[in-house]
This record gives sequence, structure tokens and C-alpha cells, in this order.
Amino acid sequence: MQRFLQSDFFYAFTRSPLAMVSLLVVVLMVLSAVFANFIAPTNPFDPASLNLMNGFTPPMEANMFTGESFLLGTDDQGRDLFSAILFGLRVSLFVGIMAVGLAMVLGVLLGLIAGYVGGWLDTLIMRLADIQMTFPSILIAMLIFGVARGLLPPELREEMAITVLILSIGLSEWVNFARTVRGSTMVEKEKEYVAAARLIGLNRWQIMLRHILPNVLGPVLVIATITLALAIIAEATLSFLGVGAPRTEPSLGTLIRIGQDFLFSGEWWILLFPALTLLALALSVNLFGDWLRDTLNPRLR
Amino acid sequence: MSFVVAKDLCRTFDLSDPWIVRKLTMRPKRLLQAVDRVNFSIERGTTYALVGESGSGKSTIANMVVGLLKPSAGSITIDGQNLGDASMSRPDQQRLRRRIQMVFQSPYASLNPRWKVGDILCEPMRAFKLIEGSEAQRRRAAELLEQVGLSDSDASKYPHEFSGGQRQRISIARALASQPEVIICDEPTSALDVSVQAQVLNLLKSLQKEFGLTYLFITHDLAVVSTMANKIGVLNQGVLVEEQDTEGLFSTPREDYTKMLISSAPKIEFGS
Repeated sequence: MQRFLQSDFFYAFTRSPLAMVSLLVVVLMVLSAVFANFIAPTNPFDPASLNLMNGFTPPMEANMFTGESFLLGTDDQGRDLFSAILFGLRVSLFVGIMAVGLAMVLGVLLGLIAGYVGGWLDTLIMRLADIQMTFPSILIAMLIFGVARGLLPPELREEMAITVLILSIGLSEWVNFARTVRGSTMVEKEKEYVAAARLIGLNRWQIMLRHILPNVLGPVLVIATITLALAIIAEATLSFLGVGAPRTEPSLGTLIRIGQDFLFSGEWWILLFPALTLLALALSVNLFGDWLRDTLNPRLR
Repeated sequence: MSFVVAKDLCRTFDLSDPWIVRKLTMRPKRLLQAVDRVNFSIERGTTYALVGESGSGKSTIANMVVGLLKPSAGSITIDGQNLGDASMSRPDQQRLRRRIQMVFQSPYASLNPRWKVGDILCEPMRAFKLIEGSEAQRRRAAELLEQVGLSDSDASKYPHEFSGGQRQRISIARALASQPEVIICDEPTSALDVSVQAQVLNLLKSLQKEFGLTYLFITHDLAVVSTMANKIGVLNQGVLVEEQDTEGLFSTPREDYTKMLISSAPKIEFGS
């Protein structure tokens, strides 16, 4: 800890207002998503607590029937939007982080194998990556999502929607991890500490995971941060298109889709606030990722 | 029989283009004969040096002797055991590997930058099941560090906290951790400055005396060779052109290539 506080990295962080603000926003959002149960004034998914009379209450105004007022207004069901956004943030962040985790594990492993083993296995993995790169990742995610839903029995679809969403976004984002890790693995495996490890008879997996992996993880963290922003946006896009998170477990994208139905009848707040939240989240994750990339890249120092 | 014997050692590298490119351009395979029928033998407890300029195949031979590269033809035997014996069981392979270790050229790339020195030294003990229990391993690591002239508190530091010469000492300690009988030194001092070179060479000499080690020295530096080696082999383009004991080679070199190497070594001249 002491070493971290004295590092160049931490110094650069304290000198960059952009990095500090974006990290602050991300941390605040993560905390409010995690503690949504305690922060949210109402539980938006408990039908018993909803009052249809509260529907379409504008922000900060008293409802004309019940006299109740809501910080960010309500939607057509009388759901408090502030609470719905907190819970939606939770779904969006959960899907984003899990999808990036999946993409990272998959991409790092495939990249390590491709770079270390080489030969036809390397060709196979990297050509697969090239093919996937030629399609927009949202298209891949939709394809995987559609196939997975087609394979699932109908009664499981709602329950498994989040899992399928994570799988489809995760599988569509592994390529960048694999490419970067493969490149650094090919550099590392020529170094003599790997030869020393081979001399004492360690097998390929031990060398890859214990020796090479810790030395190629630096750029992976940067890619993970940037990919997190992409994954959150991909999730929102899928949900907006109606193929992502179900209405029973709305993410920010689902909320935006619901809000879109009422935009032209004057209830602007149902769309605007979830959209602003998504914007702030994706923007700050992205800005922090960019800063991380610039700071950790020795060539840009 | 000698302790280390290389017999008709050959290694070719395939530098050809991929198959499809070769067929399209109708070019033949390009093969590089890096090592061509090299024979030498090393007696137990002595130092054998292979000298030659860059690209002469010295490092290829070193890599074959430790088993990092397979010979294309020929064989290497250590204490009567054939290194390339495919029928050997894995425990037997491990037992043979333990007896041959290597000290590498680059003090910067030869230690994993993410590992503490103590962990680097304990790994061979674990891999060869030499010492069980982490407490005993720690103690052994501290002992090794003192043997190579570092202090036992260095075990908890990372490689980047050391100078080039100190790292080379850690590299030597790692090789010693396996309790080897043969150590292959692949240009162990060529990345160090002259005063540190002498220290590292003296360390290697005293370790040889203490543990009865056998060295195979790979180098291009004739000054290093003259102080370390009992016997010298001169390599030129993968062929062993001359082999003599150290005194004989410097006083009466037989081959023109050897004479050229000796005369082109920089000498310090006074007075003129």
C-alpha cells in the first residue's frame, strides 16, 4: 500500500482531474448499484407496492390524485424512476462486469495458448479471431443471443435471459484480449526465465500460468476497462432492441426502451433519466480506461 | 568414460517459407546447418570452453546439452545416460534434468520480474522435490544467497532491485538450487562490465572447487576463456575446427581461424 501511494502511477492519478472525477463517478455508481436495496425509496419490482394512480408523475411534482411526489418522476406503472434506475444500474453493471470477466478469461487463455504453443493451434485461434473481427460485435452478440434462446425451452427463457446476455456479450468481446496477450506472450516466451523454467521440467501449463501470465497482465487491465464500457453499451443496445434484459428485470437499456414509448406523448423524463445515467456510466468508464491506457503506455510518457 | 560426451552432434534449422508460399514461388526449402557433426567430451570437475564468433553455433550447442533443443542427429550423454532417450520415464527425466543446469547470458531476462528472489530460488527445490516444507526451503534459499555473496534478506526483494552482476549471482544461485553436477554457462559475463566480470568468474571458480562442478563455458571472450577453461574447442560456422588444452591453444594455435581469433582479441598495450 505504501509502495502504491508513492508510485508514479498514483502521482499521475492525483495530477489528473479527469481521471479522479471519472473514477469517482464509476465508484459512486457501483456503490449505489450494490446498495440499491438500501438507497432506493421503493422497491420498483414489488407489484403490491405500486399504485397505478401514481403513473406519469413528472419529476419533483406532486401527483394530482395521490399527492405523492418522486425525485425523478414515475413511469406508466407508477414506478418510482429513481428506484428503477438504481436497480437497472445494478443489472447493467452486473451484466457488463460478468461479460468482461468472461471475455477476459477466454481471451487471455486463448491468447496465451496461441502465443506459447504456436503452430497450427495459433493459426486456428487467430484466424477465428480475424473472422470474428469482421463482424460488428453487437451482431455477434445478437446472433449468439438468438441461437441460445432458440435452444432454451420457453419456460426457461425469462430466467436465463441475464445469463444468456452475459454469454453473448462475453463471447463477442474476447478477440482484443486474445490478440494483445498473444503478442506479449510471444515476446515473453523467448526470454531466458522461461528457458530456466523449462530446464527444471515444468510443463506448458505451469509455465504459461505461473511465469508468463503475470508478465502479460498489465495491458489486459487496460483493455478490460475499455471493454467494460463497450459491454455496458452493448447490453443497453440489446435491451433497447428488446432482446436483452426482460421487463421483469429491467436494465438501463430496458428502461430507455420503455421510456421511448412515451417520449412523443410528453413524458420525457421516463427516457431521459435512464439515458443520462447510461451516458454518465459509459462515459466515465471510458474516460478512465483511456487515461489508464495513456498512463500505463510507456511510449506515450 | 568422460562425464559429458557429445557425439556427432548436428542441428539444422528450417528457415523455409510456409508450404503454400514455397509451392507458389517454386523455391526449395532453406535449411541452415547450425551445428555440424561436433564431438567433444568433458571430464568431471573440469571446465570446457566453446569459443567462436556470433552465429558459430555455440548457443545452439548449449541449448542442446541442457535439453532445450533436440539434436537433429547425434547424441549427448551425461554420466552414461543418453539425454535424448525417448523411452526414459518422467521421474528419470527429472532426475537427469536436475544434474544439468544453466546460467544465462542476459541478467535482465533470465529472472522473472514478477517473482521475488526467494520464490525464484525455491522453485527448483519444489520441482525436483529436493527439500520439502516452505520453512526448510526458505532456509536453503538464504544459504544459497550467502554462497553467491548476497545476503539472506535479499530473498524478499524483486529482481529489478539488483544490479546486473547481482542478478547474475542470483541466476547462479538458482542453478545451484537444483544441486547440479554440470552447469552450462552461456556467455555469463558478456553483459557485465569488466570489474564485475572478474567477480562473477571468481565466484564460479570457487563454486567449482567447493562442489566439484563441471562447466561448459560458451563465450566469445578469449580473456574469459584463458582464466576459466581447462580445454577449449573452437567453433566456426557450426564445425569444431580445433580442440586443445588452454595453454596449447594460446601458445601454438594450429588452425588459421584460431590464430585470427587470438590476434583479433583486443589487448592493452602500454608505453607506445
